[in-house]
Amino acid sequence: MNVVVTPAMLGQVVISGILSGALYAMVALGLALIFGVMRIINVAHGPLLMLGAYATYFLSTALGINPYLTVPVSMAMLFVVGVLLERTLVFRVVDAPELSSLLLTFGVSIALVNLAQLLFTSDLRSVEYLTGAWEVGPFALSKSRVVAFVFAGALTGLAFLFLGRTKLGKAIRATSQSREVAMVCGIDVQRIHLVTFGLAAALAAAGGALIAVIVAIQPEMGQIWTFKSFLVIVLGGAGNYPGALLGGILLGLIEQVASLFLTTQLSEVVAYVLLVAILLVRPTGLLGGRQT
Amino acid sequence: MTTKALAALITAIGVLAGGLPAAAQGPIRIGASLSLTGTYAKLGNYQNEGYKLCAKQANEHGGLLGRKIEFVVYDDQSAPSTAVRLYEKLITEDKVDAVIGPYSSPVTEASANVTEKYKKVMVTPLAATTSIFKRPPDKKRYYLFMVISPAEAYLEGLVDMAAKRGLKTIAIVNEDTLFAKAAGDGAAELANKRGMQVVFREGYPKGNQDFSAILTKIRAANPEVLAASTYFDDAIAITRQMKELNVNPKMYGITVGGDLPEFYDLLKQNAEYITGATQWETTLPYPGNREFSDAYKKEFGREPVYHSAAGYAGCVIYLEAVKRAGTLDSDKVRDVLLKLEMKTAFGDFKVDQDGFQTAHKMVTTQWQDGKKVIVWPDELANGKLRFPTPPWNQR
Repeated sequence: MNVVVTPAMLGQVVISGILSGALYAMVALGLALIFGVMRIINVAHGPLLMLGAYATYFLSTALGINPYLTVPVSMAMLFVVGVLLERTLVFRVVDAPELSSLLLTFGVSIALVNLAQLLFTSDLRSVEYLTGAWEVGPFALSKSRVVAFVFAGALTGLAFLFLGRTKLGKAIRATSQSREVAMVCGIDVQRIHLVTFGLAAALAAAGGALIAVIVAIQPEMGQIWTFKSFLVIVLGGAGNYPGALLGGILLGLIEQVASLFLTTQLSEVVAYVLLVAILLVRPTGLLGGRQT
Repeated sequence: MTTKALAALITAIGVLAGGLPAAAQGPIRIGASLSLTGTYAKLGNYQNEGYKLCAKQANEHGGLLGRKIEFVVYDDQSAPSTAVRLYEKLITEDKVDAVIGPYSSPVTEASANVTEKYKKVMVTPLAATTSIFKRPPDKKRYYLFMVISPAEAYLEGLVDMAAKRGLKTIAIVNEDTLFAKAAGDGAAELANKRGMQVVFREGYPKGNQDFSAILTKIRAANPEVLAASTYFDDAIAITRQMKELNVNPKMYGITVGGDLPEFYDLLKQNAEYITGATQWETTLPYPGNREFSDAYKKEFGREPVYHSAAGYAGCVIYLEAVKRAGTLDSDKVRDVLLKLEMKTAFGDFKVDQDGFQTAHKMVTTQWQDGKKVIVWPDELANGKLRFPTPPWNQR
């Protein structure tokens, strides 16, 4: 009754895995940034992604803007939301024990989801824009996923350029390496925290905006992305930014290939078992932690 | 001699009192626990409105056994454990004359233990799980009666239409939860019976949104029919991703969700050709269906859904059984219900010796130019199935 796996099928799921992996990487990079710079695990990362998705939904359906053109707008909006969150709440727990930041962001997460349920209702919504596939040989390439891949690749590239080449980016990395030394060197750490949180929220928003064109959205869509992002940065090495890239692609591939050879139910088990295994063998993740 | 006469007199009075015109006895009180708040609130309230309308109409037509009917309804907050307590209270403290079913399979499963214990007949309008009724002989339930079609029947229309068109291969996927799995099992069994080959079968976890790998396997298995036992979110995701991976079966049907207007709102023209299954539609030509819908709209200011109609029908069926039995006595009403064959606004009613529903028909709908058309069974259809489904790029 079950299907024999052919090379073409394997190829197909590898493509699917890499396509979704790029999205995982981009979204997880936001979480990695916050963790690296502020030592905070932001549980509200997924709900911020959800807000980005709704921003794109409303901009594209109410105002008729091409959903892909709304990506920068969603990002800008969520950058502001991120900055406001940091300024009003998150800055209070930066030096507090890790449990405090977990509790705070968990609270923010619940508040955002419920707020969204109140404002947008729990009804599913979808942006029907680019559906269908490009047929390339034996493979079907989902149009919306390919575009999302290109966007995610470009935005992740830009984020790395920003971190590596600009003064602000270098300041972020410096703060991430050692806040005290950064401060001594005259870096305004408060401002760096603000920018980092905004940037992370913007990356989540970009993910949400792209996902809105792929699947139907609803207020609870975000939480699973918090978990996936967390998985990605642990796989790649917490606080190690290129590690997020590797972790993202890896997670995408593991999920798809495991679903192909086993079942979809087991694929999540495989991902988490692998996580435990990696933590046992290399507790700092595949690329090691915090070597920015 | 005198004592004998006295005894006879007392007996005579007793007999007379039993047969007295009923109006003097106050109303017949029917107790129910319903999910008026909590997870199932939306649907439980529809069912409650069905009960209310049934009681109102019955009272307008002289009540039952010459007495008025009164519903005693408590809120179980969608929790089976609360419902158990409430049925216990209804029977032992409130001493209601009769009981009627709660909302949903899990709540019915739990409550049935109480009503069986007190030997109370319970018509359960909204329990679709076969295992509630089909039980091992030592755990048999005697007083429980099913109204809606079981989960296993949801995909019957799709399989039947496919078999009639000579299709030979089917792939079945289902959310891996009780109801959806039962519907998938039902489809597999029906397909085998009709000589179709099940070329792929897999479950997926609740809440799954990524069907790439499953659909890649289905694409390789290349079935003529794809049957998906879904709720709503997953039905949307599967449909969209079928288009992304260019999976093109000749027929594609889902279970729950496909009949909701929101399904078309979300998928637009991509919902065309897809079949869904439902227990009931306002447009079905059942006796009294139109009158029911009109009266319902007038009474509650909104359109009835199948939960309303099933609740209404469950109450109508119970009242009819009591009328025919001429008494509220559980064993006599049970005997009538076991033999009863009846058509209501909800469709046919007939149960087997386990109280399991055998006559009610599911209907299969298909989206055609944005309209939901009933395409199966033939005697209830108001349109023809569009077949075969063209490839995605030609829709």
